[in-house]
Amino acid sequence: MIGNKRLASTLVTAVILLMVIAACAPPAPEVVEVTVPVEVEVEVETTVEVPVTVTPVVGPQPGGTMVIGLSAEIMTLDPADYRDTTTETVIRNMFDGLVTRSSDGRVLLQLAESATLIDGVTWEFVLKKGVTFHNGEDLTAEDVKFTFDRIITENAIEYPEPHTSPRKGLIGPVESVEIVDDYTVRLYLSAPFPAAMQMLVHQQIVPKDYFEQVGTEGFIEAPVGCGPFKFVEGSLGDQIVMERFDDYYGGADELPPVGPPLLDRVIFRILPEASTRVSALRAGEVNIIQSVPSHMIPVLATNASVRVASGPSTRPAWMEMNVNQPPFDDVRVRLAMNYAVDAETILDTVLGGLGVVIAGPLSPYNNFADPTLEPYGYDPDKALELLAEAGWTDSDEDGFLDQDGEIFTFVIDVRPTSKPRAEGLAGQLQELGIDATVRVWGDYSVLKPLMLDGERTAYVGDWGDSAFDPVGHFEAKWHSRVEGTGNGRGNFSGYSNPRVDELVAAGEIEADVERRHELYNEAQQLVYEEAPAVFLFLPDIVEASSASVQNWTVAADGRLNMHDVWFSE
Amino acid sequence: MRTVKILERILAVIPIMFGVAIVVFLFMRMTPGDPVDIMMGEAGYVSEGEIENLRREFNLDKPLHIQLYLFLADAIRGDLGNSYARRAPVSELIAERLPATIELALGALFVGLVVSVPIGIISAVKQYSAIDRIGMAGAFLGVSMPSFWLGILLMLLFSVRLQWLPVAGRIDYGVELRTVTGMYVLDSILTGNKAALISSLSHLVLPSISLGAAMAATVARILRSSMLEVLRQDYVTLARAKGLVESLVVLKHALRNALIPTITVVGLQVGVLLGGNMIVETVFGWPGLGRLVVQSIFARHFPLVQGAVMVYAFVFVMANLMVDVLYTYLNPKITL
Repeated sequence: MIGNKRLASTLVTAVILLMVIAACAPPAPEVVEVTVPVEVEVEVETTVEVPVTVTPVVGPQPGGTMVIGLSAEIMTLDPADYRDTTTETVIRNMFDGLVTRSSDGRVLLQLAESATLIDGVTWEFVLKKGVTFHNGEDLTAEDVKFTFDRIITENAIEYPEPHTSPRKGLIGPVESVEIVDDYTVRLYLSAPFPAAMQMLVHQQIVPKDYFEQVGTEGFIEAPVGCGPFKFVEGSLGDQIVMERFDDYYGGADELPPVGPPLLDRVIFRILPEASTRVSALRAGEVNIIQSVPSHMIPVLATNASVRVASGPSTRPAWMEMNVNQPPFDDVRVRLAMNYAVDAETILDTVLGGLGVVIAGPLSPYNNFADPTLEPYGYDPDKALELLAEAGWTDSDEDGFLDQDGEIFTFVIDVRPTSKPRAEGLAGQLQELGIDATVRVWGDYSVLKPLMLDGERTAYVGDWGDSAFDPVGHFEAKWHSRVEGTGNGRGNFSGYSNPRVDELVAAGEIEADVERRHELYNEAQQLVYEEAPAVFLFLPDIVEASSASVQNWTVAADGRLNMHDVWFSE
Repeated sequence: MRTVKILERILAVIPIMFGVAIVVFLFMRMTPGDPVDIMMGEAGYVSEGEIENLRREFNLDKPLHIQLYLFLADAIRGDLGNSYARRAPVSELIAERLPATIELALGALFVGLVVSVPIGIISAVKQYSAIDRIGMAGAFLGVSMPSFWLGILLMLLFSVRLQWLPVAGRIDYGVELRTVTGMYVLDSILTGNKAALISSLSHLVLPSISLGAAMAATVARILRSSMLEVLRQDYVTLARAKGLVESLVVLKHALRNALIPTITVVGLQVGVLLGGNMIVETVFGWPGLGRLVVQSIFARHFPLVQGAVMVYAFVFVMANLMVDVLYTYLNPKITL
């Protein structure tokens, strides 16, 4: 009987241990963007008369295996059954869509030769001819219809048990797809959908015949697409290997080089730990790595065989303040915070200057960002003035502002990744006599419900805007609370303005671009003036590659597109 | 008699697993955070309908006791449910990842024992000698150093600077290997594949050391102190008085008794190996179960966490059962 008591107690310990240990290493998936360096190779040719001719060779070189260190795991190889960016990155190197997006965010035709909005709720796409899937079959309107039907029909995905595609929401109003002829399809919408083109970028076409033959389970094991690379082997948690598809039709006409990819092979490896990715890059085991933490940039910058690349992300950062409880229920206090924080300095010191200061609730790269908004700017005197108006002064001269005998104190909640910037911010407020401290939450899922219920005071965080459109982004942060669901999906400040709600609702269905601009400009101005947040900055995505990687850019939507990339050696 | 007892103990695992299942089920659901919200909450363009559909699909719309009933009813039939994010049966995902985790745990166990046993014995026999002091200082370091930090240091030295060993992964791309057990080192030996053996071993070294170091340290310290205690007992003096060779006295008479507390600790360390796996797997990009569990805990993917914890619990119970069985061989006075 020696063991039984111990067994019971060790079991409980084991369970607790699992929970505790898990609190140590949260990997965070992120997004990317790039610079385009061109390396010049010098070829020396010798003839009898002319001693030396120097011929610079600039341009694409075929061959090579590109190994990419991803920061998160891949969920599936079924283009209809996921919702995360890492999976999208891998899938879109094997699958193409009707349209795609350039690394600077423009929507371009990919499999479609033309896209026409016929009557506000009907899109007609004419497909390119001569596009083949990796198994040799031609791509036709049948495949497009099959792909979209699988996404929009309830419970259309049968494996492992019938469920609806998690990508349905991405093309919400698409109601049905009609085949006009072999190379023409029409998408019928239930309502006007101004962001349709931006959203269709996220749907990739699968081959109908092959899919029906193998089923979802078989397809995940041996996926067939019409993208630049075809699947070779791999497992989702480890690595995915793909090789060049020689019969590739070329991709988007506006994204040179058009034609089959240059690389022989692409391997996506999962390396969730940032220091491991950096080590693997330095050791030459991988050629490109995702999300380089800012404190590791100096290490990589000194390495001649490595190049750090950065570009704007799609995640604007703010300090959201709970507008429903003191001290931030007073708009003067919230404005004071905007003057009291020097976002530029935080950006320079904490993020190495990689990013831009933002003026309001949207990223400046959002297609509907109001260009007339100016950042409040650092003005401590004005901040103190506003605070004094609101009743906050240092009456007992202890270095802290107070009111009715209580000092101005609050806690800023953060996730571990935002800790340095929040500490910088708190430090600046401390200097002004505001006792701001930072509390780091290892598990965001615990913090989030508290914020949505209005139980926290301030939060330094960010929110993704990958469609470059306010739909799905503005609504999540600044639309007032939805009955029964706390503050909606992500309105941590609890901000509520009926006029803003109205404008957001109108903007979602307004087809006229000019009018949409007006609606969203007004909404942004209101949020700016009422300042439910300190508007901070749009941090860059930072990635790194071997110096020999050419024509690779950090894409604003976070993807790593390997079609156009080559090695210089 | 012993066989019957062992069978009895194996049967006793059933209620234990049942208890574990219920505890994990409740713990996961008591933890704040909603799996559907974590999955979809920050994606743009999510409709209420979609959220409701997912909730229904995952049975999260049902009362807790119904959820528990559905989970247990399926679990009894061996169906642990489907992963929320990976959209595959949990049992399949665990089977896919478990061999890598076991391989790493065995590697660590090997490192742990190979290092600790000699150090423990020599330190005790030559108490206060230089070897003892160095060994115990090393053990102190090993116990104190977190495995992820040791892992990163080893990686910087052996992979980045010296480039002797790979940074991450399990085997080099291009090395062909027919998988039998899913444990690459074992598979290489079974299929007589030398290239694969070298490649998989070189990938296994650093993670095994990172994971096994703490265990080596703990075991060395326990073994040393139990050896010291045993070596002072009368029967050891008697053995020496009989004129037995010192090595025989130490290895045959003393070690056998000193092993009882040591094996207890090794059994308990299996739990630490499984737990530590989660961290080391993340650091070394090792595609094992631990990493999957960590991600699933953060994402509140209940079925996967439940399934994996049950696997861990089973391994843990079995390891401790083996320890108990070993006792009876080491000391016939102990019965199961």
